[in-house]
Amino acid sequence: MKIFLLVSLYFLSLLAHPHTFIEIYPTIEVKNNKTTNIHFKWKMDEMTSSMLIMEFDANGNGKIDKEENTYIYFNYFIRLGDYNFYTDIKINDKIQKSTRPKNFKATIENFKICYSFDIKENYNIKDLKIDFGDTDFFIAPILKKEFTKTTGATAKITELDNDFYFGYRLELTKGN
Amino acid sequence: MEFYNELLKQLILWQYQINSYISTTIRSIDDENSIYGSLLVIAIAFLYGVVHAAGPGHGKALVSFYFINDKQQSYKNAFKIGYMISAIHATSALIITFGIYFIVQKMFRQNFNDVTTLAMTISSILIITVGFYLLYSAIKDRKDKEKAFTNKANKSQLAIAFSAGIIPCPGVMTIVLFCIMLKHFVLGIIAAIAMSIGMGLTISLAGILTVLFRKKATNMIESNGFYFEIFGASLIIILGLFLLVVNLKIN
Repeated sequence: MKIFLLVSLYFLSLLAHPHTFIEIYPTIEVKNNKTTNIHFKWKMDEMTSSMLIMEFDANGNGKIDKEENTYIYFNYFIRLGDYNFYTDIKINDKIQKSTRPKNFKATIENFKICYSFDIKENYNIKDLKIDFGDTDFFIAPILKKEFTKTTGATAKITELDNDFYFGYRLELTKGN
Repeated sequence: MEFYNELLKQLILWQYQINSYISTTIRSIDDENSIYGSLLVIAIAFLYGVVHAAGPGHGKALVSFYFINDKQQSYKNAFKIGYMISAIHATSALIITFGIYFIVQKMFRQNFNDVTTLAMTISSILIITVGFYLLYSAIKDRKDKEKAFTNKANKSQLAIAFSAGIIPCPGVMTIVLFCIMLKHFVLGIIAAIAMSIGMGLTISLAGILTVLFRKKATNMIESNGFYFEIFGASLIIILGLFLLVVNLKIN
């Protein structure tokens, strides 16, 4: 009975499942074992993108203009701060909550909505871990070795077992 | 736990691939390959439904808890509820997608979020109500054995299916909307039906497994039948409360 109850409670916590897939393309610059810039590009799946483009591309010219970019930033992107932008930057396993993305830019590429932004912080790569995932499990980040570019360091990607959702961890080691 | 995590990961990766494949196929449909392309989309939509519903959500837990209480121990009932849920799930998604698209057109996402929030709140309250109804029935049955049982079972099955299915499936909605945007209106509807048939198969499986569990443990359950019914109904109430609290907290 106890096992059955535990199994049941486990299933209760599983509310959602991914409906949106975001490919994450990180470009990380490292100098003297410290990051100088972490650039992320998110590419959303085509079906979600089609839904978003309908709203984002208000004038229907097939690209995101400056005003549309501002609209997306304030109405969509900045709100993802509640989810830490699906990106936990950890120093010595402590999440850096104060980190704020800069240079946000939304684009449409091959029918996909893309978000680009920078994290301009000097983190020691030895202490750095970057975890990707959505605790609500509504979106699923997809990170592959071939999506990642680094200068001054080598990237290592591992799959994260978070029990109720699935994610990835990116770590950096010395040298290219 | 290890197996579940591996399964969860695999389900996500499959969905990621199917999602990408289905959008590419729909976009590639033209006059020359319309029949082949459409059949391929329908087949992928069915597969997507099976895999999509295998992930968390879609009322599988609710169905399982319900069948803890099911005295008929019927596989047919498990199929019936599974397909009732998926049919309501897909119908609500179709109505909302077409409704919002043609009435509102813009601000789709925001309207979709508002409708989903409302549907989730209604769904949670319905689930709690069904749970209390089953609880009341279990207590009443103890005093009034098996009276009008079948009629009551049908009513509660419909209530369970409605409470779980009323939340529109965002997976169905995105496929339908994508088809609408590319002017494949009929294909959108057929793909939604194919996806719901796939989802129904997976949701039914949750009920079938519970019925199987009940059959295997018949002796134990029969001697503790009343407590199992109370347990199943309580789980449904907890599930409803949990959904309600999470939904109110998120919004």
